[in-house]
Amino acid sequence: MSETILSVEDLHVWFDLPRGGVLHAVQGVSLSVDRGERFGLVGESGCGKTTTILAMMGLLPPNATVSGRVLLEGEDVLAEGERSARPHRWVDISMIFQGAMNALNPVQTVGAQILEPMELHGYATGVDARERAGTLLELVGIGRDRLDRFPHEFSGGMRQRAAIAMALACEPKVILADEPTTALDVMVQAQILGLLERLSEELGLTVILVTHDLPLVAHVCHRAAVMYGGILAEVGPMDALYHDPRHPYTRMLFSAVPDPTGESEVISIPGAPPRLDRPIPGCPFEPRCDRAFEPCSSVRPRQISLTDGREASCHLNDPALTEAS
Amino acid sequence: MRGGADYVIKRAIFALVTVFVAITLNFVLFRLAPGTAVANVARVPGASPELRAELTREFGLDKSKWEQYVIYLGQLARGNLGVSFATREPVREELGTALVNTLPMVALGELFAIVVGTAVGVIAAWRRGTAVDKGGVAVGLFFYSLPTQWLGLMMLLLFAGILPSGGRESLFLFDPTPWRHFLDVLKHMILPSMTLGLVLFGEYTIVARSSMLETLGEDYILTARAKGLRDRRIVRRHAFRNALLPITTMVAISLGYIVAGSILAESVFSWPGIGKLMYDSVGQRDYPLLQGVFLLLTISVVLANFVADLLYFKLDPRIRE
Amino acid sequence: MSVADMETKLPAAEATPARRGTVRSVLRERPSAIVGLAVVVFFILVAIFGPMLSPYGVHEKIGTPFTPPSLSHPLGLDDAGIDMVTLLMQGARVSLVVGFAASLIAILIGALVGVTAGYFGGKSDVALMRVTDYFLVVPDLVLMIVIASIWGQKLIYIIIVIGALLWTGTARVLRAQVKSIRERVYVRRSLALGGSNGHTIVQHVLPQVSPLIVANAVLLIAVAIFDETALAYLGLGDPTAISWGKLIKNASEAAAVSAGAWWAIVPPGLCVATVILACTLIGQALEDALNPRLKASYLAARGFRIRRLREDEP
Repeated sequence: MSETILSVEDLHVWFDLPRGGVLHAVQGVSLSVDRGERFGLVGESGCGKTTTILAMMGLLPPNATVSGRVLLEGEDVLAEGERSARPHRWVDISMIFQGAMNALNPVQTVGAQILEPMELHGYATGVDARERAGTLLELVGIGRDRLDRFPHEFSGGMRQRAAIAMALACEPKVILADEPTTALDVMVQAQILGLLERLSEELGLTVILVTHDLPLVAHVCHRAAVMYGGILAEVGPMDALYHDPRHPYTRMLFSAVPDPTGESEVISIPGAPPRLDRPIPGCPFEPRCDRAFEPCSSVRPRQISLTDGREASCHLNDPALTEAS
Repeated sequence: MRGGADYVIKRAIFALVTVFVAITLNFVLFRLAPGTAVANVARVPGASPELRAELTREFGLDKSKWEQYVIYLGQLARGNLGVSFATREPVREELGTALVNTLPMVALGELFAIVVGTAVGVIAAWRRGTAVDKGGVAVGLFFYSLPTQWLGLMMLLLFAGILPSGGRESLFLFDPTPWRHFLDVLKHMILPSMTLGLVLFGEYTIVARSSMLETLGEDYILTARAKGLRDRRIVRRHAFRNALLPITTMVAISLGYIVAGSILAESVFSWPGIGKLMYDSVGQRDYPLLQGVFLLLTISVVLANFVADLLYFKLDPRIRE
Repeated sequence: MSVADMETKLPAAEATPARRGTVRSVLRERPSAIVGLAVVVFFILVAIFGPMLSPYGVHEKIGTPFTPPSLSHPLGLDDAGIDMVTLLMQGARVSLVVGFAASLIAILIGALVGVTAGYFGGKSDVALMRVTDYFLVVPDLVLMIVIASIWGQKLIYIIIVIGALLWTGTARVLRAQVKSIRERVYVRRSLALGGSNGHTIVQHVLPQVSPLIVANAVLLIAVAIFDETALAYLGLGDPTAISWGKLIKNASEAAAVSAGAWWAIVPPGLCVATVILACTLIGQALEDALNPRLKASYLAARGFRIRRLREDEP
């Protein structure tokens, strides 16, 4: 299972702000995901995780500037912007969004929305496509007869499941899930996650799951990356992050007792996330860090490789610096 | 579709009640107003005593106000609106001819406004923030601020000699073929309908632009993009349809303005439609005709609103709940 | 819910709470509002001081009708031989007075209806809204024409007629916003603490809706001036009042077009257009400020850009 299917290399994303100025939302993130893996991407709101996965499909808005590479099975998705990104969309990599209520077009039937990419990318047409769409709905636990209904006729959980069915329309290899269970109640959350797990096992799908819900990630994912202030704080196997964190932020995050009601936000660490519209000279976490030392406020930490598969952006992992202090 | 039938019935009832209110208002304004010149539809200048007696009988002018009201309703149901003071022809016939003249002219102007306005608005939204955007909106706003009659006069100044300056057809065309006649009327129709259209399109530009921008910020647009659709296809299939919904609303809202605009445009260009009829009847204090025009215009607007409600209902499945 | 509901339903639901001085800040910051305000102030000054400063009288026949512009008469003479510039300044007085007065009447009625319906809800709400709906559907100008032709042609009647028919939009919009304000914490707290309805309305509700009222008032000035101009053209204006609309009518009746006397027709229309445009700009700027569009587009003509970082860039 250790063949890399997607890798992000030194990704930067800047957004032009309406009143002038630039927001540096993603600041040099690198990570890689293996085929068939369930990979989590966690962090507070505003840390850049959603922007990162949008960049994986080249789905950035007009006010964005991007640099870096996103290699999907070896091909750089971002090489020529929209032109190089578009051919991969939905066919190799697809996405389910936060709040499927808005992600689905309200004036089109669910069936039509599942059909559309099939016909667009030449997977099936007409009756055949309808047949496949029905099968997909059944795969996610919705009756075939719902093909001709409109999104507003579905409950929240059903809409999300329909979105999953839609995401599978062209048999992609990677599915990106952006907070798929936020705003759903606990029972439904469990269903959706169970569905994603089952599909990933049965179909060999790679799933990248973005969330701020830690117990969820711990439960579902093999590996995870923790983001903070636009940088990658740490990445590695789930239990390593839990039991042997190499970044203070990771440690603080995962030391919270998992909330049995499943309503946990990221635990409150004193302080606030950094502003990303100004350059930060040192480590973005430094003001809130309990192990900050001399280089932290002036030298930017690099993503340092630890044992295989693990990386962390913290000076504490840099032998050169720790010995000196 | 249960929810749908409810909605249609509710709107239909509302339309009917409004029509009834308008009819009653008509009666109250004209018959109960002080001064016999207004209240007395039988006082047709230059009419024979027989005609006067006939009208007095038909409309029960010698009876109590309540009885007059009931008689009025009855006559209305039969399409009898009295006799014009100026021409001594039945009001109903005057209205009929005028309506036939007005409709194509207004339709042409409105079509121009919707098409041009929406096109400019959509392009402005697509090229948000650029000179095209700001320019398009500016032009729309500018024309929107012009008094319709004044714009008409400006058009006359500009096109004097190139396009006819008034009326519906040339007086000097002898025995024209249907095609030539059609072209002639069209030539006469251009200026008044363009005047109407130019003043109207600005509102459509603003609404279309705002609606398109709103739609382009919706999450399902991101989904469409994520599916690999090309930009133009996204706009055509997903954005456009959703952005159009407020434009249908706009048509209903602009109806009042269309009526006002057509009254003014027809007056300037002497286009023999309802608007000119209103202008003439005011000038000549032709009260029966004025009543008739008022009733016709009000009922038309109410009906048009109702049709717009139906259209909106058909376009937006969400209302069907 | 109908089509007519649409326009008022959405804005109120997303309106941001007004902060103190919203109106003032908009008027100071947004370029369109600044320009609009400058224009309106200019015309107000012209209206107040113009006719007094002019060397010519408003009824003073100086020369032949339709004399072209010259140095002493920058806009020539009208169809009766009176100086156009003087007439325009007098026209500013009448048109602006009608606009402001009618708008005031409309706002008073609209605010009364809207706030009452929104605040008290229940039967009064339903009743008031039914009445409003009917008025909304009936075409304004048509009813104005009918009433004006029956009632008579004094300026005060015209003002009342216009004002009495323009209140409906304001009433609906205010009702929607008042309804949502009514549910806010500080309002309920005020009532729970024993505050009277009147006190609550004045202290808590009105300040919140005042920017909306101002925005509506300004837009109504534009409509009122347009309507007065239209009524004047149709012969229903006050024959003794010289408004811009009347000037257009006079010129038109005296066949200014055929005579090529553009100076008699173009300026009054431009004045009306300019004031209407200015009011529209101000009103729209205010409305925009109250309903900001927070979402950026996902799609536009130009897509996202690529950048290649050099080695030394952070």
